[in-house]
Amino acid sequence: MAEQDLVASGGPATLETPSETPLVALIGPPNSGKTTLFNQLTGLRQKVANYPGVTVEKHVGKVSLADGRTLSLVDLPGVHGFSARTLDERVTRDVLEGKVDGMRSPDALILIVDVTRLENQLMLVEPVLEMGLPTLLVLNMADELEARGGAVNDQALATRLGVDTVRTSARTGSGLDGVRSYLEGVADGGTAGVHVERELSNVPASIALPVVDAFAARRNLVRGIAREADFVPPGPSRLTERLDSLFLHRFMGPLIFLAVVLFVFQSIFTWAVPLMDGIDWMVATSGEWIAGTLPDTWYRSLLVDGVWAGVGSVIIFLPQILILFLFLGILEDSGYMARAAVIADRAMYRVGLQGRAFLPLLSGYACAVPAILAARTIDDERDRLATIFVTPFMTCSARLPVYALLIAAFIPNQPVLGPFMNQRAAVLLGLYGLGILAAVFTAFLLKRTLLKAQPTSFLMELPPYRIPSPRTLMLRLLDRSKIFLRRAGRIIFAVAIVLWTLTQFPRTDAGPPDIEQSALGTIGHVIEPVIEPLGFDWRVGIGIVTSLAAREVIVGTLGTIYGVETADEESVALQEILRRDLEPGAAIGLLVFFAFALQCMSTVAVMRRETAGWKWPLIQFTYMLLLGYVGAFIAFRIF
Amino acid sequence: MQLPVMTEQDQREDLRLGDVPMLQEVELVSIDLPVELAEPLLERGVLPGCRICPVRSSPGGDPIVSIDGSLLALRRETAACLCVKLLSSLQDAD
Repeated sequence: MAEQDLVASGGPATLETPSETPLVALIGPPNSGKTTLFNQLTGLRQKVANYPGVTVEKHVGKVSLADGRTLSLVDLPGVHGFSARTLDERVTRDVLEGKVDGMRSPDALILIVDVTRLENQLMLVEPVLEMGLPTLLVLNMADELEARGGAVNDQALATRLGVDTVRTSARTGSGLDGVRSYLEGVADGGTAGVHVERELSNVPASIALPVVDAFAARRNLVRGIAREADFVPPGPSRLTERLDSLFLHRFMGPLIFLAVVLFVFQSIFTWAVPLMDGIDWMVATSGEWIAGTLPDTWYRSLLVDGVWAGVGSVIIFLPQILILFLFLGILEDSGYMARAAVIADRAMYRVGLQGRAFLPLLSGYACAVPAILAARTIDDERDRLATIFVTPFMTCSARLPVYALLIAAFIPNQPVLGPFMNQRAAVLLGLYGLGILAAVFTAFLLKRTLLKAQPTSFLMELPPYRIPSPRTLMLRLLDRSKIFLRRAGRIIFAVAIVLWTLTQFPRTDAGPPDIEQSALGTIGHVIEPVIEPLGFDWRVGIGIVTSLAAREVIVGTLGTIYGVETADEESVALQEILRRDLEPGAAIGLLVFFAFALQCMSTVAVMRRETAGWKWPLIQFTYMLLLGYVGAFIAFRIF
Repeated sequence: MQLPVMTEQDQREDLRLGDVPMLQEVELVSIDLPVELAEPLLERGVLPGCRICPVRSSPGGDPIVSIDGSLLALRRETAACLCVKLLSSLQDAD
């Protein structure tokens, strides 16, 4: 765990793979079944981190051979070429060239291809073989090739390319023995012991051909190889054709798309609730238990009210994130997500985004942090920046406790649309709509200013529909939860300690000061003139400051300030005090403020990592804060 | 004198992938896009000389084509930049 963190932070001195274990790199185009094979070989013995300085995930695992020896296996991002146009291509290239800090150059390679599309997938074979490393060519989905009436002569292919070949079905696990015996051979050979830097080119470096010709040459070569190997392309997949005529149907397609979105959305909010309540209860109960066992000294309050409650406020979102990623994983691995992106592309394109932005924006309704990570699949850098810039406008679940408290306190429970909707639900829906409007407006604005570019293209390969592998899904869920907990947990932990400290000083004779006299109260008074035009007083000011850590923190903070025990969004006492202290217009303003402002340090931190600098998070934070301020001001004047 | 006129006419009649009827296989002649936009296409095997067949249209009206047994979704703006020609046998049949 600790080792992994070091790698994630990109320390140059970290050695992920000890020099004595041979490193094998797994290369292949997207949708070739690379990750499934990786999971089958390594199982739980894998680690996910980031490559130093970039946002591409690095998956490294250990493979145990029958005789007890181990090998390191690195799962490289799926690429079509090595032009280094995208981050994924750049990283793949760097790993193969041995240019990644703290990582030895690979000793052997496994090139995996979807054999049903051999000609398309072999485009990587020439640059890979040029590296001169021991290489195994894995012909994946061989069962599907035969089932659909295709054929290939493995022996002829192996002879022609001068490499070993193995037929596998990564889904059922057949052919894995062949891969393992190849790895035994690699282990026998040991490691070269030296770190080699190589050069890898997308286009033959020796001949200065125009790009198109270079690709055409490679294409002809691949076609020749396929012909010599007696490759018979399989017939079209009937299942894929049938499903596509439904999922991409002119009318049914968008309807099914909407149904899928609503279903995922609904599941985040209904199925996760009992689990979240359970976690809430566990954190509260264990907090009380800790408080009971500790002596009544200064650090008890720090541990229980600061650290424990703070970390608990993050863990509570885990069920939502797990459920979201389970569904997204199923959609992705089944092949539907690619179709969804195609359906969404037209609408997204109109506002300056693209089809692949659909997945991160949908994830943003649970939490912006994993959503911003999900945007890595967007290959166009400007599109990716625009997407992660607007993602925090999606109404994440951390806003819900704030909305719930203020709506319950200020909005009467009266019907607006007969029995279908009451005013409270209408306001909540309006806040969701406000977020979408802000996102659309911002994306539109960005694409005309900071991220102005020539029209980009959108290419989406539509893989055949497949049944997702439960093992791959589970391993990914495990990854996601680890990343989320580690990243969010650290920030909340630190902020909780800082906030707690600010409430404890300056000390009085009787111990900690009243909240108004504390350092935190002073901060509230200092910013009061700034927020006065919005109808907020110093107490709300403190809430806004503390909720910079995470939006929902304002509920607990207001509870502390008003001295209400057990403050949560259903607390009637807190609602009454708020009604007395806050004008209705200011309450609406506060809702609007929370809809717009980037009150979330985890998001800022993730933005800094994903954009490799402070520029974008600073622009985003300032922009969203201004929008929140102006929005709150207008709301306060209107209502 | 006549030659430039002919070329211009050829240019006008020049068939684009976006105009190809559904399920009609065509051969790619050239890609009328800057290199950085063409390269993703080239890497996926969309190269001059390759055979492309529009197999369906997305609900938004963008083409989905079959190439080397893979399905590829494009924007119609991209399809309009791909110059294609009918395969000679089919041309006769038309």
